[in-house]
Amino acid sequence: MTEYKKVLPTVDDVSKGFWDACKKHQLMLQKCSDCGQLVAYPPMKVCPGCLSTKLGWIKASGKGVIYTYSVIHRTAAPGWKDEVPYLVLIVALDEGPHMYGNTLGVKAEDVACGKKVEVVFDEVTPEISLPKWKLV
Amino acid sequence: MSLKDKYAIVGVGDTKYGKHPGLSHYDLNVIAIKAALEDCGLTNKDVDCLLTKAPVSGFQFGYSSVICELIGIEPVVTGTIDVMGATAGVMVQTAMGMIEAGLCKVAVLTYGDNPVTGVNPYGGVAWEKMWGDPGMFGMYGAPAKYSLFARRHMHEFGTTPRQLGAIKVACCKHALLNPKAQLQKAVTIEEYLNSPIIADPIRTFDSCLVSDGGGAVIVTSAERARSLKKKPVYVMGYGQYARAQQEYSKLNLMDGPARKSGEMAFKMAGVTPKDIDVAQIYDCFTITAMITIEDYGFCKKGEGGSFVEGGRIELGGQLPVNTAGGMLAECGLSGFQGIIEGTRQLRGECGPRQVKDAEIGLVDNEGGTMQTRSTLILRR
Repeated sequence: MTEYKKVLPTVDDVSKGFWDACKKHQLMLQKCSDCGQLVAYPPMKVCPGCLSTKLGWIKASGKGVIYTYSVIHRTAAPGWKDEVPYLVLIVALDEGPHMYGNTLGVKAEDVACGKKVEVVFDEVTPEISLPKWKLV
Repeated sequence: MSLKDKYAIVGVGDTKYGKHPGLSHYDLNVIAIKAALEDCGLTNKDVDCLLTKAPVSGFQFGYSSVICELIGIEPVVTGTIDVMGATAGVMVQTAMGMIEAGLCKVAVLTYGDNPVTGVNPYGGVAWEKMWGDPGMFGMYGAPAKYSLFARRHMHEFGTTPRQLGAIKVACCKHALLNPKAQLQKAVTIEEYLNSPIIADPIRTFDSCLVSDGGGAVIVTSAERARSLKKKPVYVMGYGQYARAQQEYSKLNLMDGPARKSGEMAFKMAGVTPKDIDVAQIYDCFTITAMITIEDYGFCKKGEGGSFVEGGRIELGGQLPVNTAGGMLAECGLSGFQGIIEGTRQLRGECGPRQVKDAEIGLVDNEGGTMQTRSTLILRR
């Protein structure tokens, strides 16, 4: 496997559940068992709704629509220079929260706000599979 | 207990903007403070409150205390505030509250920075790397973040690049009438459209300058103001608001914090957007200014594109905006330049770029990517 040169996510106590599930190709959301608030990536230690620490994991459908997007032509993001132009989306998950994501196998000219997307997983290193998005 | 018209901006001071290779950010603060004191005829001995915005080009624990030493004062009140680019306007409001509370009488508010020639702890433009993991997605830097706002605005309202470009064109026109402005070159719409794309739809010409420089303002009571050198510029109304979440947490990027900050300010001032003769709107990016003009109610949400066309925001138009060039052409420092120009306009000091009979002005300051906001409504 070619070396992955880009910034990898920080896997720690808070985010381990998210990344373990990504390895199994499952997108997860946090849900607060005290107030029901949902939190998409990045995971939090404390519920932003009620400040409870009782944030558990639930399975996300992996479906959403493109809320907005950018086609990056110039970047200082480490490891991304060779990828330009590349897409970055904000996906509005069907469950409600929004999250950042890159695309897999999608042309910039085919993208538009409001288009439906579905998550796919890109096994970029032996440890990390990244959730990415394809058009449906 | 309204503070409407009880306080005034009495002194303003700024450096030229651009590159200051021999000057530290400490120096830039001192130069600006000295200029502001001379502007109102006060001395450092009169100052009992000093508030600073910390520079991006260096970290110093107790920053405002260093500035106090450099200008030889022992104030009652000092401190550093960081709400990013909204700080300057927030400091004016904080100073008014401190004076009202009886803690002090004369407040000097200052920001000096040298991101161009100084040592940058982040290895690039400081605000490229903000918090969180967005770098993981290749989302890095303010232009990329604002492209998300611009794309959504185009999707919801049909806004065009040409309309964004009208803001750059207006700011550049105004900067030509300001000898201190960093950019002294007119820009046509065609040049704007041909400028390189950083993150579609944001072009280099949508992005503010990066500047070394410093600015300071002095606030005191209306009574004291009337005994000083220049005509006081009174604070009629103020407001603040923070939509502090990042772009991926906010469900509606089209509703900026200026809406609520503005409501507060207009209510306190007892005026409406129609009463504003001149506006300084935070323009770190063209899209920022456009969304903000809508948020303040100068036009309906979504109509910002047509509002900025046809010279409406240029000198001589219905609502002159960023009359010294704004961040797009005067300087990119996220500091006092809007407050300083707003004050000078209401004093009638602006010469060729003076808005005729300007009586009431609005000054807008933003922090982060539409995350914090300050609104000031000033009058002569």
